[in-house]
Amino acid sequence: MSAVLEVRGLSKAFGGINAVEDVSFEVNEGEILGIIGPNGSGKSTLFNCILGQLLPSAGSVHVDGRAVTGMRPCDLNRLGVSRTFQLLQVFPQMSVRENLILAGQEHQGAMWSRLFGRRDAGLSEAAQRMIDFFRLAHVAEEKAGGLSYGQQKLLDAAMAFMAGPRLVLLDEPAGGVNLTMLADLRERLRAINAEQKATFVVIEHNMEFVMALCTRILVLAEGRIIAAGSPDEVRRDPKVIEAYLGH
Amino acid sequence: MKRLPAVLGLIVLAGLLIAPFALKPHGIYLLSMWAVMSIAAIGLNLTLGYAGQISLAQAAFVGIGAYCTAILTTKFGWSFPATFVLGAVLCFVVGWLLGYPALRVQHHYLAFVTLAFTTLVYLVLRNEEKITGGTYGISGIKRPVLLGWATQGARDYYFLCLLVLAVVAFATWWLVRSPWGRAFMALRENPLRASSLGVDTRRYTLMAFAIGSALGGVAGSLYAPLVEFIDPSPFALGLSLNLLLMVIVGGSGYFWGPFLGAIVSVLLPEWLRVADGLYLIIYSVAVMVLMVFCPSGLLGLAERIFKRPKAANAAKVAT
Repeated sequence: MSAVLEVRGLSKAFGGINAVEDVSFEVNEGEILGIIGPNGSGKSTLFNCILGQLLPSAGSVHVDGRAVTGMRPCDLNRLGVSRTFQLLQVFPQMSVRENLILAGQEHQGAMWSRLFGRRDAGLSEAAQRMIDFFRLAHVAEEKAGGLSYGQQKLLDAAMAFMAGPRLVLLDEPAGGVNLTMLADLRERLRAINAEQKATFVVIEHNMEFVMALCTRILVLAEGRIIAAGSPDEVRRDPKVIEAYLGH
Repeated sequence: MKRLPAVLGLIVLAGLLIAPFALKPHGIYLLSMWAVMSIAAIGLNLTLGYAGQISLAQAAFVGIGAYCTAILTTKFGWSFPATFVLGAVLCFVVGWLLGYPALRVQHHYLAFVTLAFTTLVYLVLRNEEKITGGTYGISGIKRPVLLGWATQGARDYYFLCLLVLAVVAFATWWLVRSPWGRAFMALRENPLRASSLGVDTRRYTLMAFAIGSALGGVAGSLYAPLVEFIDPSPFALGLSLNLLLMVIVGGSGYFWGPFLGAIVSVLLPEWLRVADGLYLIIYSVAVMVLMVFCPSGLLGLAERIFKRPKAANAAKVAT
């Protein structure tokens, strides 16, 4: 199996504080990798460095063998790297359908062709498939800002999958989602992982969710990887227990 | 009910075509000014209403367009269409460059940058006497003859303005309904999310500025022959604020907002003249009341009124 995402020696310092220190890992095709760690362990900084929102102080990021360190988020996205956000990030004044079409349109042809081309950029069917898949049909024409929190989380995820990405980074997908919706979300994510052959990296606080979803887990503490392995291995690792329970 | 907008549109269009035959020259002049200001406001609505980039520079672009036409037609004998196109292209390029600060600063900081630009252009127009005529301005700007159609008369020139407005309106309508319009709105609502979905926020921001500014230039190009004499004073900050008022009062981000806003800004003061010295007070109070009770403008108000019964019915069904 080839590595879809390869992170080598990544570090990020803010002033004198090393938020992420010498982190290296690989994610293979079709894998669902979980990254867990206590608050402030550098998970979000790591994500932002991978996604081009922050420039790493050292180290490199490769996607399908191609160096993408410091690439702009929009260019990275068009290479097939997609993400969801920890806090809700939808376009509140646009309908669910419009949100989804927007999520796919920039992947079609050149900018000028989109000005004179079809209004839906040929994405109506794809958007409808996403709407059905994430069970948003009853709110498809509603403005996204009017949706419930859980529905917006689903929409956020649906948008990340709209362009058929190779790699999706999910930042706390379960945060604030109620239990019924949570099971639903997990099952949808698993289904799309199997169907689209997409590779996932998930940051999550909800242990139960992460243990059930992921095939492999990295544990981060104080900016370093302290453990890695299957959910069961990680759960039993004394270093992990110490990091979470304190000294 | 669904046909209502189409019927309403036809009535308004018929009114606009018939009106000049019933109005005195001053009335026709005001309608022409409405058309010209609508074009400038449509441009600003694109930049501000759709793409969410605040700009107080629209008056400067109207000024650039107006002076481009005035100088080149009176001093160099250029034809009007050539100066019209050049004015629009020039404003597109300058607008593109002015967009660069918008990549770094937002909201009130961007307002200040664009305000400074308006002041800069005003000072250039006033001080570069050799080129612009300074405070004496440029007089004798002739209305053009286009393919044998002489537009010297008030009515003919009005139809020219209306024709350009129609073309601009159609092009803008096309643009905001295209994926570009969607990308502009995404820029307004959540640039961070937009960029993570592959939207090249840098290029779209610059494009929003450039296209909006080009429409300011188009309006200016029509403005100069309409008033036949220009000096720098109409292109100062006052006009920028006035255009901003048109966009916001009409309904920022609504396609028809600028048309309505221009009515409020150009025609309403004239209608209120019967109130004599009080008209400015009445006018400003009316605008303030509207802004307090309906910050989304006249069209936002209309949407609230017409959508409420539907929501109320839905609530009844639910209970």
